Amino acid sequence: MFRRKRTNDDFVDEIKAHLELEAEEFRSKGLSEEEAHRRARVAFGNVPAAQERFRMRNRAPFFDNLARDINFAIRQIVRNPGFAAVVTFTLALGIGASTSIFSVADAVLLRPLPYPNPQQIVRIWEQLPNGHQPNLAESNFEDFLAQNNTFTSLAAYDYGMASISGGSEPVRVNAAAVSSGFFPTLGVQPFRGRLFAADEQRPHGTPAIIVSYGYWQRYLGGASDLSKFHLDLEGGSYPVVGVMPPSFDFPSGVAAWISRELDPPSPSRTGHNWRGLGRIRDGITVGQARANLSAIARRIRDQYGTQVDLAAAAVIPLADAIVGDVRIALITLLGAVGLLLLVACANVAGLLVARISARRKELAIRGALGAGRGRMIQQFLAESFALSLAAGVMGILMAAGGVRVLPAILPANLPRQEGISLNLTVLLFALAATVVVSVALGLFAAWRAGGSDLGDALSAGSRSQAGSSASQRLRRLLVVGEIATTLVILLGAGLLGRSFLRLVSISPGFRQENLITMEFSLNTPQGQDGTDQQVISRQIRLLDSIVGRLRTIPGTASVGLAGALPVAAGDNLADGLFLIINGQKPPANFDEFGRIAKNRSQTGLAEYAVASEEYFHTLGIPLIRGRMFGEQDDMNSPHVAVISESLARKRWPNQDPIGQVIEFGNMDGNLRPLTIVGIAGDVRASGLDRPPSPIIYVDYRQRGMNANSTPTIVMRSTAPAGEIASAARGIFHELAPDVPVKFSTFADDMGGWLADRRFLLLLVGLFACIALIIAGVGLYGVVAFFVAQRTQEIGVRMAIGAQRSDVLRLVLGEAARMAAFGVIIGVVASLAISRLLTSLLFGISATDPLTFIGVAVLLSLVALAASFIPAYRATRVDPVTALRYE
Amino acid sequence: MTTQKNTDDRIALLQGTLDLLILRTLLLGPCHGQGVARSIQRQSEEVFFVDHGSLYLALQRLEDRKWISAKWGVSENNRKARFYSLTLKGRGQLVEKTSEWERLTKAMGLILGGCAGPSGEEA
Repeated sequence: MFRRKRTNDDFVDEIKAHLELEAEEFRSKGLSEEEAHRRARVAFGNVPAAQERFRMRNRAPFFDNLARDINFAIRQIVRNPGFAAVVTFTLALGIGASTSIFSVADAVLLRPLPYPNPQQIVRIWEQLPNGHQPNLAESNFEDFLAQNNTFTSLAAYDYGMASISGGSEPVRVNAAAVSSGFFPTLGVQPFRGRLFAADEQRPHGTPAIIVSYGYWQRYLGGASDLSKFHLDLEGGSYPVVGVMPPSFDFPSGVAAWISRELDPPSPSRTGHNWRGLGRIRDGITVGQARANLSAIARRIRDQYGTQVDLAAAAVIPLADAIVGDVRIALITLLGAVGLLLLVACANVAGLLVARISARRKELAIRGALGAGRGRMIQQFLAESFALSLAAGVMGILMAAGGVRVLPAILPANLPRQEGISLNLTVLLFALAATVVVSVALGLFAAWRAGGSDLGDALSAGSRSQAGSSASQRLRRLLVVGEIATTLVILLGAGLLGRSFLRLVSISPGFRQENLITMEFSLNTPQGQDGTDQQVISRQIRLLDSIVGRLRTIPGTASVGLAGALPVAAGDNLADGLFLIINGQKPPANFDEFGRIAKNRSQTGLAEYAVASEEYFHTLGIPLIRGRMFGEQDDMNSPHVAVISESLARKRWPNQDPIGQVIEFGNMDGNLRPLTIVGIAGDVRASGLDRPPSPIIYVDYRQRGMNANSTPTIVMRSTAPAGEIASAARGIFHELAPDVPVKFSTFADDMGGWLADRRFLLLLVGLFACIALIIAGVGLYGVVAFFVAQRTQEIGVRMAIGAQRSDVLRLVLGEAARMAAFGVIIGVVASLAISRLLTSLLFGISATDPLTFIGVAVLLSLVALAASFIPAYRATRVDPVTALRYE
Repeated sequence: MTTQKNTDDRIALLQGTLDLLILRTLLLGPCHGQGVARSIQRQSEEVFFVDHGSLYLALQRLEDRKWISAKWGVSENNRKARFYSLTLKGRGQLVEKTSEWERLTKAMGLILGGCAGPSGEEA
């Protein structure tokens, strides 16, 4: 049987009836109508209270009291603006910093890629027996494409800097060549126009180009009629057929896409030139897809034996592949900011404890007046809720500022950073952080307030502080925790900082200052072979005249030319096998090259760099032995090479490499052998954190620029970069009007390379500083309270002859104890945690003793400084005043 | 005139005793809230003061526990009133609570009587 819940009105009716009955009774005793009713009401007592209690009987009165509590809380806050300001600001710092970092993590790590069913999209590599995962060789990709049964589509693509003209001005941008499966794999449709037609995706088919929304806006004026645009890309002419939507940015930063199939296939099984992309079928896992492709890879290996190097396939979700190494850095940042929030909370908790001790009397009175424990907890929840809410709002405002500022300091290579914003997810995170903080602090405060020593408060008399030693103990504990947590963050910052210092102090092998770089490409006219001697001669003449003119710009010290920049452009130097052919007949074609290459004793591995003689002077790369390229080296004289010191040491450990004849024609298509004439100093071409690369330099006057080179001019000059750029622009415009040039300074290029490390260091360092300040303030508060509590004792001590130094020792000893505990706990925790940073460190171990000691010392000094002010104040205590001190 | 006693002589009901008194009162038959209050006050010779608000909440509590049931009716002097009566469950509770109370008072008596005897002056 279900009974309907009794309504409020029914209860009100019952009370009305009761009052009537009561009045009736009074009337029967002879009282007047009015008096009888009055008496009845008096006898009943508080009618609304009874009604409210009826309403409340089955529920937590939380929400009904909430408004009252918040009201009270706000009055409390207004009464103690200093306390409220400190608490709010501290929490806001924590929440704001966490929210800012979360917004980055959200955009980079958490948000799904902007494609339909993004979890099905994967990147594909070949897997070599030695663990390397190179890109796909063309023929292997074709086999993957034809034989797999786990993918709905597979695509090969590649991209790089290219010159595009035909828009409002020629530019150097990233352009991609993509196979027919590319757009279907990503599942995107063009914003304007269409994707490639079948005729545009076959060898010698109709050329066509699709451009990015950004390029279309900037260089094609956002015109709706695309038919009038024909773009020149590296010597070919392509009509524009489509514009991709603004949200489409794959591969990142690419401004134009052309069809890969326009070029005739180059059936190679070891030229790992194509990036693999695929969309897995419904219901197929990444593991199954990998097994499927690996089986095909094994078949290829069985069939072609040593002619191929792949052993299996590697398949990784696109989202993971894009994020790559950044994940660990972002997780580190999240960890650091989480610890910062923890320090902020601990500090606020300490403040709350202090405040509760100050309010003990009020609480005791309220307890005595019948406020239940639950009711008091609510009160504190309301108060901490009000403070945290204010902190949350402030934190979100800070995060809004942070999201604006972050792009300026984010490393350029951080993927997906354009998506960083204060969106709903981020706001929910901020809200969740606020709620968690407020509930935790509220419960903590309520727990303190409900503490057993509360009852003593009333009887403690005016010296109420005497009863709060438990509170002081708790505050000390909190400060120790703060110091320990701060040490962990500081240590992270210290390890990252020392790694960074080590990196920047490493000599890259050349001088980086006052270097201006210009990157461009020289179009090979269509229908002409890039290895053709005449084409190369023309190229060399043009480059010579450009370099010659650049030399005349005032302030120029030297102008060098190379096929790529070391470090900045990183892996732009291509590497490959070379042959040592001393005395033997050089290979006449690439089949012969391949046969000779099977003999391991005749091969070596090196990076290939085209350079001019002046390149070495400009960068300050020293000649170790032998000679540089010179006037005598021209197209008709024997071709020469200069090798780097590490290659000489590695490949010819007990021999003189000078005079050795090698064959490196696989890099530039020119099979004329090279005679080694000199050894140059080492350059850390692929990054400061890598060992120096083995490099073979060839003379651009003999070999020209080619497919594996991007003509790059380096200029050492004392003139400002801007002046040089405008002068150089004029020269280029005059000599090669269609050639767009990318100007930069070497410092910028280097900076870009170090930017991610600098960013991580900057933020972790910033968080460490904030944590340090917060912990310092926390310690100061506890020590100041310690002094206030002991003023009388100190007075007595001084009255009976204690020296100022004794007092100083007493107070600083208190601080030192806390600092020491905090440091010890922090060091132990760091020993456990810091190894997570290992992959971000360079040249030091995660337990680097110097960093540990340095951080511990720094923290101790800050602790001493923070406690010195109250300690000094303690020494100024006047015994007479102190003895009267209540 | 009402014969209200001096407030000093009145005793606030101990927690939990009100329930027992209500059940006991309703044993005599269905009664409305005002009648229950009056009855408790009278039977205790005006020693117990029943807070009316608390009484109605206690009635509601007992009703929620299904120890008593209630329905609207008409009082002896033709007024609308909500009448409460003991349920079977309530009767069981009354027996149990009564014996509990008797044991309590006996124990209290033993202790208080034992102490108050010889050195009653000091209490």
